[in-house]
Amino acid sequence: MNKKRLAPPAAAVLCSAIALASIMLGGFAREGRARADTAGILDSEPFTSTDGRQIYEHVCRGCHMANGVGAIGAGRFPALTKNPALGSRQYMALTILMGKRNMPAFGAKYAIGFGGPPVILNEAQIAAVINYVRTNFGNHYTDPITAAQVGALDQGTH
Amino acid sequence: MSEKSGTALSRRQLLTMIGVSAGATAMYQAMHSLGFAAESKFQGPIRLSAAPKGASVLVLGAGIAGLVAAYELRNAGYQVQVLEYNPRAGGRNWTLRGGDRYTELGGETQECRFDPGLYINPGPWRLPYHHRGMLSYCKRLGVALEPFVQINYNAYLHSRKAFGGKPQRLRAVQADYDGHVAELLAKATRNHALDAEVTAEDQAILLSSLRSSGALDSNYRFVKGADSSERRGFERDPGGGLSARPAFSEPIALSDLLRSGLWAALSFGALYDMQTTMFQPVGGMGQVGQAFARELAPLIRYNAKVVDIHQDERGVSATFEDISAGSSRQTLRADWCVCTIPLSILSQIPMNVGASMARAIAAVPYCTGLKVGLQFKRRFWEEDEQIYGGITYTDLPIGQISYPSSRFFADGKGVLLGAYIWDMRNSMDFTSMTPAERVSKAVEYGSQIHPQYPKEFDNGIAVAWHRVPSAMGCFGLWSDATRAEHYDNLCAFDGRIVLAGEHASYMPAWQEGAVTSALDAIDRLQERAAAGAAA
Repeated sequence: MNKKRLAPPAAAVLCSAIALASIMLGGFAREGRARADTAGILDSEPFTSTDGRQIYEHVCRGCHMANGVGAIGAGRFPALTKNPALGSRQYMALTILMGKRNMPAFGAKYAIGFGGPPVILNEAQIAAVINYVRTNFGNHYTDPITAAQVGALDQGTH
Repeated sequence: MSEKSGTALSRRQLLTMIGVSAGATAMYQAMHSLGFAAESKFQGPIRLSAAPKGASVLVLGAGIAGLVAAYELRNAGYQVQVLEYNPRAGGRNWTLRGGDRYTELGGETQECRFDPGLYINPGPWRLPYHHRGMLSYCKRLGVALEPFVQINYNAYLHSRKAFGGKPQRLRAVQADYDGHVAELLAKATRNHALDAEVTAEDQAILLSSLRSSGALDSNYRFVKGADSSERRGFERDPGGGLSARPAFSEPIALSDLLRSGLWAALSFGALYDMQTTMFQPVGGMGQVGQAFARELAPLIRYNAKVVDIHQDERGVSATFEDISAGSSRQTLRADWCVCTIPLSILSQIPMNVGASMARAIAAVPYCTGLKVGLQFKRRFWEEDEQIYGGITYTDLPIGQISYPSSRFFADGKGVLLGAYIWDMRNSMDFTSMTPAERVSKAVEYGSQIHPQYPKEFDNGIAVAWHRVPSAMGCFGLWSDATRAEHYDNLCAFDGRIVLAGEHASYMPAWQEGAVTSALDAIDRLQERAAAGAAA
């Protein structure tokens, strides 16, 4: 039997139709596909707060704990208090942008989503949470980082 | 279907519709590249050659990968020692029952207050029929299996933004989606829109198939009537006697259905990993780890926190702290090491391996998955809503509600999976909460689907995997890029050390990945051991 393949122009229309659907629909439904049922049908809102404390409490606290005390189990989540690494705001920015070991990346260039889009923090959000951590939990650093400086660091990574 | 949405269908709109359902192929390809939907490599029980005289192996971690490795190596005659951080075997294979106490990182202790026989699996909870490795070990170890209900047409799909927040039965959404798409395709066919793609002869067959697949009437319409109600259910079910006459139900309009987004859940049961029949161990997934533990009891050293792994030309030493006895340090040594410690933790343990394996170990962040188990005073989902097992999917942060697949119609209390959260935004948020807050939020959100919640709620327990001291994460999160760069280096032998676990598999999060990675690792180990003995 003569089976015709989908003609190239029709295939192109199909692709653009899928793209159109992608734009029109929000959330995870946007992708029109799921890799597992754990992907769910959640329309996950991007995290938009630029308040350092809010970012810490909703994104970082799960591992670094209340007041940045960290935790020790079979491994450890580093404390963000009395931690000399906090002396370098650039180190903190790069760690948040690119991730480190078990800690996921939050920079748009590096973040991996699963069961939905990744949590992406922009330059202003990263600066805000760094400045929050470096002036709380017993930290008293007086050299804040700016969003532009985070952006410049991000530009330098690849 | 309403007149409005049924007329003047453009080719573009049609193709959009097809694109939505044709997504299954693209979906499978994407899943494959990410390692999902990979068929288990299990080829039946492994046959290791007899161990060289005196050969010894140190297995780090008594999760599924470590237990499989230890079990098979011991059977082949190796001298096996296992170090495990927890006071129990199984790792993420774990069941919480009434009376269990669990302390998470940060120090919060929860006591599970479920009634006898009720449980929650904080980790893996279901076994696809093609995960032959796990099923084989269950059979060999005497772990009884029962069906796990994955798809329940009477469970709900729920979106806050659709149908005024009223949950819809999967049955109706599935029938209406299939029906509307079939009607559109039939319309396009009869309007000669597909003449270039489908021969006249095939068009006749296509139309018959659309009537069948979409429950269309004799005019190729998906409308309120006997055909559609036999799929989506009736307004009033047929019965006997004078009250016998059924009332048909009204399909959801196409536009409402599309805009609801609920169609996104329709493919879940068609996924290779989710297709029926699925299984669960009777009494909880933790039965598997416990069965292995009984087999291997004298070989496993519990409460052992590995702090250093060092190899030389003759063997491997692991130094550990006995966390039940004042953290005194001891060292065990063997010819070989199968290390199954999750990368979330292994990436922090000093271990002298080459740069390529070290980089691979450090390259994998972990999913922030989380579950909440809720006990209710009665099984209202069965009694009030005729939901027996299966899963309700929702756009609420809880992601889904799963109903128990056992003890149907039982009197007394029942336990639901009240939240199963993978998406990073919500799982990080929930992980940041106290356990009591997580339980409280799960009840609050679930009440939007089941109004019985506030009255019937009894107690709950929440496990956020980044707060689990022995795992510090749910499962390894690979991307295409990290897998291409690091996966082979992670799995390759480095001297006398080989890694195994779900993180060393193309089946992330699945226990079958742990099983098959362990078997692959010990198969290579025996070759090296034999070669070393012959040299």
